[in-house]
Amino acid sequence: MRRVPENAAVPENASLNDVTVVFDDRTILRGISLALAPGLTLLRGPNGAGKTTLLRALAGLAPLARGRRSVPGGQPLYIGHRPMLLRGLTARENLAFLAAFRGQVASDVAGALRKWGLGNEMDRPVERLSAGQRRRASLARIEIEQVPLVLLDEPFADLDSDALVRLRAAINTALVRGQAVLMATHMHHELDQDATHRYVLDDGALREV
Amino acid sequence: MNALDRALLVAARELAAERRHPDGLVAALTFTGLLVLTESLAFGPGQARQPGVASALFWIAILFAATLIASRSFDRELEDDAIDAVLVLDGGREALYAGKLVAIWVVLTIVALAAAVLSLVLLDLDVALAGHLALIGVLGIVALPPVVVLTTLLALRVRARVALVPILSFPILIPQLVACTQGATAALSGDASAALGWAGLLAAFALVYGTLGLTIAPAAFD
Repeated sequence: MRRVPENAAVPENASLNDVTVVFDDRTILRGISLALAPGLTLLRGPNGAGKTTLLRALAGLAPLARGRRSVPGGQPLYIGHRPMLLRGLTARENLAFLAAFRGQVASDVAGALRKWGLGNEMDRPVERLSAGQRRRASLARIEIEQVPLVLLDEPFADLDSDALVRLRAAINTALVRGQAVLMATHMHHELDQDATHRYVLDDGALREV
Repeated sequence: MNALDRALLVAARELAAERRHPDGLVAALTFTGLLVLTESLAFGPGQARQPGVASALFWIAILFAATLIASRSFDRELEDDAIDAVLVLDGGREALYAGKLVAIWVVLTIVALAAAVLSLVLLDLDVALAGHLALIGVLGIVALPPVVVLTTLLALRVRARVALVPILSFPILIPQLVACTQGATAALSGDASAALGWAGLLAAFALVYGTLGLTIAPAAFD
């Protein structure tokens, strides 16, 4: 595994400061503080611990009842449980739209989808792809939308062994580029050894392990 | 990329999805056609071709069509959480509101043209001021969706959204509906000054609710 270079491009770390998130009178996150330096950070915890909510709070998708969120360098790339691709569009159209919205060149979309084994499928509407193919298309965004912070929620779901290799390579590339990658997972994986920080989230509270 | 570019990008995405799977358009066309047809039968040919009745039938049908199109549009966004990929982006919330609005204007224009042809043929309407009628048509199509899209956003995570959106939006839209109906009635009857007066009111409604929607939409997504 290649390590993050010392001249990593993130000028300031993305962070949550004393963040509390409440849904329907239930406190999901309790006073969470977390700073994400370039490198791989793993977030573990049992089902329902609040891992997804923590990622969504960093992405700006979960309203904060208290605390502050700081994400310098632009909005993060957030890839959730589900593919987050619009049905009716092809995989290529979806990814090109998202890249264009960020003001990035969309010319690499086809190349990225080919890397993920979707060379023959990229121009089919996403609803005609299998769950694993949709997942691959979604994860190909890591190679296109190059932003300082990448948030991955259970990225191993629906992936076969080839895609797992591709995911590891994509994460390695992101780390070499100096990006911070936060990955929520309940699985142990060979990427574990490469993590610079590991956290456990349980009942809305965070601790480093 | 500026805010207008982002909104147009969302509109193009929406229209591309609608072109491939025109669920919203087909539902709105079917519903609008049936509504115009059945209401004209219920009133009878003599009464249904009265300018006031024909205008009211038309605009009620268009209002329901706008609700159907907006609802289908956001249903598609919620499948596979596609909406989150846009909401997370800088300016994504405003662009999603404005882009949806533009796309709904386009789809609603198609529905309104079809409904207008159906009304004109079926009811054999005499149109005294075609230009004024077209102006009212354009402004009505622009003025109705801002409120419908905004209330759809407010009810986005509610299961009973299909019922809730009309309940929330229709009371707010009564003045616009009256302006559309009265303006079209004046244009059909040959009252140019009244038609222009109602057109001005519709333009004001479009401006006020469009601006209000852009202001409220970012918070409404939460």
